[in-house]
Amino acid sequence: MPHQAKHLLKLFYITAIASALGACASLPEDQRSDVRDPYEESNRKIFAFNMAADSYVLEPVADGYRTVAPTAVQRGISNHVDWVSLPSTAVNSTLQGKFENATLAVLHFAVNGLTLGFVDLTADDDQPTREDFGQTLAAANVPEGSYVEVPLLGGHTTRSLSGRVVDFILNPLSALEAGQLGQTVQTAQLPVGAVSARADDFEAINEVKYNSLDPYARARSVYYQKRKGLLEDRLPGEIVESDNDDAFDSFFED
Amino acid sequence: MLKMVTKLTALVALAFVMMSSAVMADDRLDASKNLVDEMAKAVKMAIEQDYESDGARIDAVNALLDTYFDFDGITRFSAGRYWKKATDAEKADYSALFRIVLTGLAARQFDQLKGLDYTVTDAVSKGKKLVLVTGIMRDPTGAQADAVVSWRVSTMPNKAPLIIDVEIENISMLITQQQENTAIIRKNGGKFSALNDVLRQTAEGL
Repeated sequence: MPHQAKHLLKLFYITAIASALGACASLPEDQRSDVRDPYEESNRKIFAFNMAADSYVLEPVADGYRTVAPTAVQRGISNHVDWVSLPSTAVNSTLQGKFENATLAVLHFAVNGLTLGFVDLTADDDQPTREDFGQTLAAANVPEGSYVEVPLLGGHTTRSLSGRVVDFILNPLSALEAGQLGQTVQTAQLPVGAVSARADDFEAINEVKYNSLDPYARARSVYYQKRKGLLEDRLPGEIVESDNDDAFDSFFED
Repeated sequence: MLKMVTKLTALVALAFVMMSSAVMADDRLDASKNLVDEMAKAVKMAIEQDYESDGARIDAVNALLDTYFDFDGITRFSAGRYWKKATDAEKADYSALFRIVLTGLAARQFDQLKGLDYTVTDAVSKGKKLVLVTGIMRDPTGAQADAVVSWRVSTMPNKAPLIIDVEIENISMLITQQQENTAIIRKNGGKFSALNDVLRQTAEGL
């Protein structure tokens, strides 16, 4: 498929989601299970579809991949998926004025580009923190918007979903005039990335899916906490003040 | 001269108070780190044992829960602001059902933790009643990537420190549980009993 057609298809998909959302009835605040989720009724339906798609396709494929592919291969693919996102991190870091992070992203992209990102040659160096256009919008004080569940892509805020579209357009790899092999690699990136991400978080996702009282509400809570960590540029385990602390402070004050 | 002596006395008293609160803070950090370290060792031992039945495995989880965790605090926090609105009977029901679900699910996940090592790396005071202990969960075989796991330890005056929350890669398990529970109650028009019904159903399926 030519690049322009692929771009158009993707844009059409996103526009269709946006239009569908516009058409969805928004629930009154007292009927929502979370005030940030006015489209809960339709979101829950899409979530059920996503869970079915996961059960029939992604989970078994990811399980097979975990069982069959050697650890080194899994790590290589995971590295490659991270490497592909580095141009977006570089662009968004620059837009947010985080020039050190942008430089790190460019350096990591250049050095690991020698292996197409499959081998992390810079694993022992300072790592750039991931930056996407949703974070750039947040830095520009664009409101977070509502929670939306997107078919096959999962939960987002409207701000992070808009960011995802821009990141796709900004991705220099998508714009490259590659040969047939290059195009095949690019086309394969999305499903391979999805399988790799599912395999990396296999137990955690299954925990939400099978061991929750309300899997939709749990997935939404996890999304918001994870996103908050990204917006605060918090590295895992980095001890900073967070909203979670406020929740515990008020609990102990009572 | 008297003013000078008064000022000096105040200064010494202030220094004493500051020193003793610093020592108390250190004590709280050390006690919290020790608690998490001991808990990690106890969990590792419990995981490596062979159990005759699922019931025995659940008993082991219950013993860990009662020794190292503030189950009462976890229960109240997980119900969110609806805890205060619940009747005594609903609270007792919730507490019992929540324990069954929590320990049942934890016992099922024992095998996933087999062979993993946990090392405490840091502890930071979060106000007067809470300490955050951070550490790394490692798979010695290298099959799984390292994960940062932090524990919130409640350090109430005159009480032994106890764990109230676990945070994995910046996601708090207790806040997640609270938001999930709150969602169920809100979806059912604010009825606390709806949460107990869902828990009962889950407990029966374990």
